[in-house]
Amino acid sequence: MAFINVRDLRFKYREDLPTVINGVSLEIEKGTFTAIIGHNGSGKSTLAKLLCGMLAPTEGYVEVAGMRTDDEEREYDIRKKCGMVFQNPDNQIVASVVEEDVAFAPENLGVPSAEIRERVDNVLAAVGMTEYAKHSTYKLSGGQKQRVAIAGILAMEPECIIFDESTSMLDPSGQRDIVETMKKLNREKGITVISITHHMNEAIEADRVLVMNGGRITADGTPEQVFSQVERVLEAHLAVPQVTELMYKLGKAGKCTPTSALHAMEAADILEPLILRTVPVPASEKSAEQACDAALRLENVTVRYGVGTPFEKVALKNISLEFPKGKITGIIGHTGSGKSTLAMLLNGLLKPEEGKVFLEGEDINQSKQFTNSVRFKVGLVFQYPEYQLFEDTVRRDIAFGPRNMGLEDEAISERVSLAARFCGLDGAALESSPFEISGGQKRRAAIAGVIAMRPQVLVLDEPAAGLDPQGKEEIFRGLREYRDSEGATMLLISHSMEDIAEYAENIVVLKEGEVFMQGTPQEIFANAEKLFAASLDVPQITRLFLELKKRGKCDRTDIYTVDYAVKTLLPYVGPEVEA
Amino acid sequence: MIKDITAGQFFPGNSLLHKTDARFKIIILIVFLVTALASSSTAAFAAVLAETVILVAMSRINLKVILRSVKPLAFILAFTAIINLFFVKGETLLVEWKFIHIYKEGIINSVMLMMRLICLVIGTSVILTYTTSPLDMTDGLERVLSPLRFIGVPVHDFSMILTIALRFIPTLVEETEKIISAQKSRGVSFDTGGLIKRVKSLIPILVPLFYSAVRRALELAEAMECRLYTGGKGRTRMKVLHCTAWDFIFLFLMTACCVGVFFLNGYEII
Repeated sequence: MAFINVRDLRFKYREDLPTVINGVSLEIEKGTFTAIIGHNGSGKSTLAKLLCGMLAPTEGYVEVAGMRTDDEEREYDIRKKCGMVFQNPDNQIVASVVEEDVAFAPENLGVPSAEIRERVDNVLAAVGMTEYAKHSTYKLSGGQKQRVAIAGILAMEPECIIFDESTSMLDPSGQRDIVETMKKLNREKGITVISITHHMNEAIEADRVLVMNGGRITADGTPEQVFSQVERVLEAHLAVPQVTELMYKLGKAGKCTPTSALHAMEAADILEPLILRTVPVPASEKSAEQACDAALRLENVTVRYGVGTPFEKVALKNISLEFPKGKITGIIGHTGSGKSTLAMLLNGLLKPEEGKVFLEGEDINQSKQFTNSVRFKVGLVFQYPEYQLFEDTVRRDIAFGPRNMGLEDEAISERVSLAARFCGLDGAALESSPFEISGGQKRRAAIAGVIAMRPQVLVLDEPAAGLDPQGKEEIFRGLREYRDSEGATMLLISHSMEDIAEYAENIVVLKEGEVFMQGTPQEIFANAEKLFAASLDVPQITRLFLELKKRGKCDRTDIYTVDYAVKTLLPYVGPEVEA
Repeated sequence: MIKDITAGQFFPGNSLLHKTDARFKIIILIVFLVTALASSSTAAFAAVLAETVILVAMSRINLKVILRSVKPLAFILAFTAIINLFFVKGETLLVEWKFIHIYKEGIINSVMLMMRLICLVIGTSVILTYTTSPLDMTDGLERVLSPLRFIGVPVHDFSMILTIALRFIPTLVEETEKIISAQKSRGVSFDTGGLIKRVKSLIPILVPLFYSAVRRALELAEAMECRLYTGGKGRTRMKVLHCTAWDFIFLFLMTACCVGVFFLNGYEII
């Protein structure tokens, strides 16, 4: 019998609330690695909690290792077999020291002290955190905290671990760490892994993918099977890997048989025989490089933290940068590369120790009054900005900034409506409490709160972090509309190469507090080797072109979006060229 | 910055004080506090002073760090010292000017009071807070208080609350800074306007902070349940507190000091 058995499962949180899980039946075998994907609100997290017995079904049943989750007497035994790692690494660590935290579950189980010690040492080694055993949990990076959380679950020796969007708050290297850990636990320890995610590049690592939409499972199969049904995946408001999308689009144009590819390598294997002529480098597409005025300019800026203490750290080293007016500039870099420090400099929250910051040619730190007025001209949207919401309605919250500017009521309400429109908030959402709307709407409300000040420069730190593909696209579309209609300058700070490639017109790469690379997306991504050397990634589609170049099928590697790739490849692929 | 609040709680080390069992340290601290408060004569007080100096030396913690712990009390110290100086009446009048009378006893009294408060603070720091890891401390407290269980006091819950509070202080401090920056970016200024305006400007910080603290608490509760937490019953610990001969010797010495001080109370030096 399967390890987890679900029959006709239905669930609603309260009698008067809509049904979240709407008839799910499935079996999960012991020792498998299953990914459950779905957009925000598709019911995937609720399903996860039902699977490990944290919620009891309204109708139908869930059986874990032969025990029904609605049997209260078995509740404890089910939890022991089936652990869960949550989304926010901070909110699942109990103790201040790593090893004390990992010991928490076996301590609760009443395991003898000597054995706890042994278990803690073993699981810390399994997640590669042995050297941090005595460290303070608070000082770890997100990925390390999440590995401690995994160790904490492992220490109770479960047969199954459910990861509820455990990578969505991590940077790319943290994400990779956790996915590698999942794979390792599955292969080496035979632990059944269920990963809830909306990162497609994680889902393709699983043995089996389930797609959830509207409380139902709409697709079920191996990653190859599921992602080959591109339309069905898009219908569930999800995305497919970039190369899958490319193959799908080429197939639709009649250029290749509808085959699926998940990895750049596979796509290269399929495309290699189909490309009939080597794709040449075009006679320099003349880019109408107009000399743009700089909206913001940094001149020899240096920032240090903790000066005079043993923890002194240079956040930015003598940086000079210009951000052209009316353009979207993407800023990429690792955690700790100085991205967030840079953002705080631009509206005067942080003063540079050396050097100057100019807005339209004026030093923003020339006087306190001037710095205060700059706050309205340079809008800053922090990471997870929904934490700044506090008013009783979304409308009043968005109006907070404009009210601080001392505007008339009429002007304020006009700005609120405009900002709400850019961010896709309707009238009903405006009148709701910001604490009752969905996560995606909270994000939009918070961004609208900054846009309502109508800033000339908009700085956004990871505006789409943790959102599903559709939510992400909607937010970026709104932001681009704001830029187009107001002529605003935009700075987009992100970890995601795909997002930067898609939306930025200029890119700045930061590394250890210095400007590492700078240029158009084409220039940056054509230098993939340099990016790899800085242990940064390129979009998957660029990886494919690097591979094709290696095989002598294409001379270009400066391709970074799917649509551009389709356009480039079309004339060289398939039977038409032969004819 | 707000970060200073959490700075300087526990200083890891290898001194005799660090090695003392947390349960004993809590009892020793109580003995020390009794000793310091019971000393009434100058001779007894000199002994307390000497005891404090020895404890500080034993902790091997930087003297600067220890003195810093007294700094926040400077105002209270000065205030009580001045009150005592002016209002304590005695036999030897030193200064008389209009309504101000300062007696020799007044000076001795205020100096002693000030020093006593300083001894109390420094003693508590070196015996307990600076030399005991938060976990050992809550663990020790749970053990020391455990007899209270029998009269229905939820000792385990109390110590778990303390552990979690200590764990979340830095997280919430960081969060507060983030919220302040975000609201500043929306044009709030915290340093202008009258009192009411300033208090009002705290709302955009307190509401999100409170909301986030509640959300964190709910998520943490879920995570703790997932890790099989059902309260204190049947729980074991990875680190077992074990006492050594030194713990008993230390306690004996401190108790001896206490008795000695009661004895010295009959003698004056000055």
